[in-house]
Amino acid sequence: MNNKRKWIFRGCTLLVILLIAALMFIIGRGHTVYIDNKTLEYNGESYSALQKVEVWVNGERLSKLSKRDRTMTTTIGNSFEMKLINTVNKGDEPTEVTVKLSLPYGWDGILVNIPGYLANLPQEAWMTEFIIEPTPPEEGEEEPGEDEIPTAEF
Amino acid sequence: MKAKLASFVASFGLPRLIIASFLLALFILAPIVGVDLPMQITNVINRFSWNAILVLAMVPMVHSGCGLNFGLPLGIISGLLGATMSLEFGFTGPMSFIMAVVISTPFALVLGMGYGVLLNRIKGGEMMIATYVGFSSVSFMCMMWLLLPYHKPDMVWGLAGKGLRTTISLEGYYDKVLSNFLQINIGKISIPTGALLLFALLAVAMWAFLHTKTGTAMTAVGSNPAFAKAAGIKVDKIRMLSVVMSTWLAAIGILVYEQGFGFIQLYMAPFYMALPAVSAILIGGATVNKATIVNVILGTLLFQGIVTMTPTVMNSVIHTDMSEVIRVIASNGMILYALTRRSEVSR
Amino acid sequence: MNGKQQNAGKTAFTFLRNNTVPLMFILICAVCIPISGFSPSYLLNEIITRLGRNAFLILSLLIPIMAGMGLNFGMTLGAMAGEIALIFVSDWQIWGIPGVILAMIVSVPFSVLLGWVCGKILNMAKGREMITSYIISFFINGIYQLIVLYLMGSVIPIAHGSIKLPRGYGIRNTVSLLNMRQCIDNLLAIRVAGVKIPVLTLLIIALMCILIVWFRRTKLGQDMRAVGQDMQVARDAGIQVERTRLISIIISTVLAGFGMILYLQNIGNLSTYSAHSQVGMFCIAALLVGGASVDRASIGNVFLGVILFHTMFIVAPQAGAVITGDSMIGEYFRVFVSYGVITLALIMYEMKKRRQKASIGEQLALAQKEEERHE
Repeated sequence: MNNKRKWIFRGCTLLVILLIAALMFIIGRGHTVYIDNKTLEYNGESYSALQKVEVWVNGERLSKLSKRDRTMTTTIGNSFEMKLINTVNKGDEPTEVTVKLSLPYGWDGILVNIPGYLANLPQEAWMTEFIIEPTPPEEGEEEPGEDEIPTAEF
Repeated sequence: MKAKLASFVASFGLPRLIIASFLLALFILAPIVGVDLPMQITNVINRFSWNAILVLAMVPMVHSGCGLNFGLPLGIISGLLGATMSLEFGFTGPMSFIMAVVISTPFALVLGMGYGVLLNRIKGGEMMIATYVGFSSVSFMCMMWLLLPYHKPDMVWGLAGKGLRTTISLEGYYDKVLSNFLQINIGKISIPTGALLLFALLAVAMWAFLHTKTGTAMTAVGSNPAFAKAAGIKVDKIRMLSVVMSTWLAAIGILVYEQGFGFIQLYMAPFYMALPAVSAILIGGATVNKATIVNVILGTLLFQGIVTMTPTVMNSVIHTDMSEVIRVIASNGMILYALTRRSEVSR
Repeated sequence: MNGKQQNAGKTAFTFLRNNTVPLMFILICAVCIPISGFSPSYLLNEIITRLGRNAFLILSLLIPIMAGMGLNFGMTLGAMAGEIALIFVSDWQIWGIPGVILAMIVSVPFSVLLGWVCGKILNMAKGREMITSYIISFFINGIYQLIVLYLMGSVIPIAHGSIKLPRGYGIRNTVSLLNMRQCIDNLLAIRVAGVKIPVLTLLIIALMCILIVWFRRTKLGQDMRAVGQDMQVARDAGIQVERTRLISIIISTVLAGFGMILYLQNIGNLSTYSAHSQVGMFCIAALLVGGASVDRASIGNVFLGVILFHTMFIVAPQAGAVITGDSMIGEYFRVFVSYGVITLALIMYEMKKRRQKASIGEQLALAQKEEERHE
């Protein structure tokens, strides 16, 4: 009887740990979000870049984008929120827009096109996966041999 | 038949059998995958000649019950001191080798005696402490190589003019002095007779010594210290002798290694040098308290064989050089196997 | 009057002898600190950072010492398990504190497996645990290299080319952990007079200390102490000696895994092939500097050791540079001192063991003499 309780207890602990791990998987997923202020071509229509866009993330100004500018930020978790202060044409009154995005789990880098978003296009038009070409590391990677004198950070 | 096979395997040791078969497989595979077999055989024989004396240095201490000499770096340092000083004093050619031996000897004796005194005080924990004595002395010498007043231009750093270089070339000094001595060439295989002769000389001397009165006393001290003491043998003195012998052999061993390799390696190079020697003698069939000359020869051959053949053959077969990793796993696995055998002597 | 003086002299001598290593270190630090010219606030900052970084790892060494297994050079195995977990978590792009927690969870199966292997081998080499665990760490390092240098990327799927070697499989020499760098340290950090105090990290360490103290009082903890004192007596008392020893190594390995993850999140960078071996050696040196010995170590030793050892570590290269004009001397000096301290501690432990054996022998002889006299 006691043995059975021991195993049930262990099974439950294991289950809880696995659940925590799964949770970590979700809330810890990191993404790099790239934000473009570029003219977007979609379905024959052209959505022009804005004169100026100020991007605010977490209460701090991330960047000020002119036409054809791009900025980037990292975020953790599957939802991303930013505030845009848009000036569509020169001399316009700036308008504030709050953007809440749900980021696809499988993408490391996510490219968001602002003009496309503001035009209320379907999501695949203005949100695409951003893949970086891996640059080959410069150092000649040889076989990690025996320990040399340990001098590094400790 | 089956029982005979089982007992053979048990006495030869399963890991040893695995390693020997692996080596055999490599040799058979070599010509098939296009590896230059005569050159590889030459390499194996050469590397055997460089390393055998270092492995031989293990024997005295195993016999006297001091265990495997993880403190080999002490002897190696004596050898390095002899080598650098011989070059500093201006000797060249074969003379520089002889002088290196001459100069190393007093260092080996002094360091060996100090080491022996230490080991006599800590009977039972020799191997662990030996390892760290070795490490401490190598790091201490790292500081010394920088500070000692060496001046020879091809030994010190060019810019500052003081402090020894990490590797010093032996060209013009005693590079290959023994290997080329009486070198025999059979077809494409060249045999470094000089070095092998020196090893044979020392091995025979060791074998002879072990059969003298002192030698048998040494074996008695190792296998049954209580009996030895009762028989009136001065246990501490014999242990001291074995440590000094081991240290001196290590000094000669590193000099022979250098003449084959062509370079003097200072600073952290001697750091891990005990492990291949320990592993080699264990592969050859020795245990923590029993080692014969046959173990030395067999072990060095097998170990160097694997070190030489694995990279070349593996490279040709799967185009990857896994040799370093295999060497680490095999040699340390061998040492683990030996350490986990129940020893006949309990202390 | 003379007897009292003699006694005081004796106790002073015994105190000196029992605490040689920490005293020596205090001396070295006292000499080197002023020479090096570092400011007190810089030193304080460095020490608190290093305390947060290393204390957990060193705490993992306490349990095997309690169980009589000596210095656990096999903590390197736990470090390797932590590293493998971090490589995976990095590849899965899980960042920040969730990444650290996930890495700790993932490291556990690896740690348990490696700890089990290590413990089993150590049970086969009773009496030679330290040298055996030392060789085990090299052996498993070979297997670690086999996995990380050859199997990862080829047989084991690794998605991101950025952490692989140019040839397509095998992990690079350094893996950046920038995305979780100091995430635990920074979460509740306080800045006081130019010194950054990583409150959360220190809380985690404090929690670990409390756990260890609690563990000593549990049945398992008591069993371990009994096994550590005398295996035969423990066996006679009905304790499963082999199993207890095995468990002590497994716990130590798992803790070393967590400690390594904490260490690496502080540094922010993983030296894939060299981080774990350095860590093993320096942690053991630090524990010994704190006054621990092969058969006895307390939490106080851990903290004293971290402070003394790392102070020396920081000031020695600079002091060496000032004295001799060559900074390499200082670097080699601190390596020499690290190894020298372990050597000294091991020698003193062995000599104490022999002294105890000798005194037991003397007492037995005395008792026999008494018996003979009574007959």
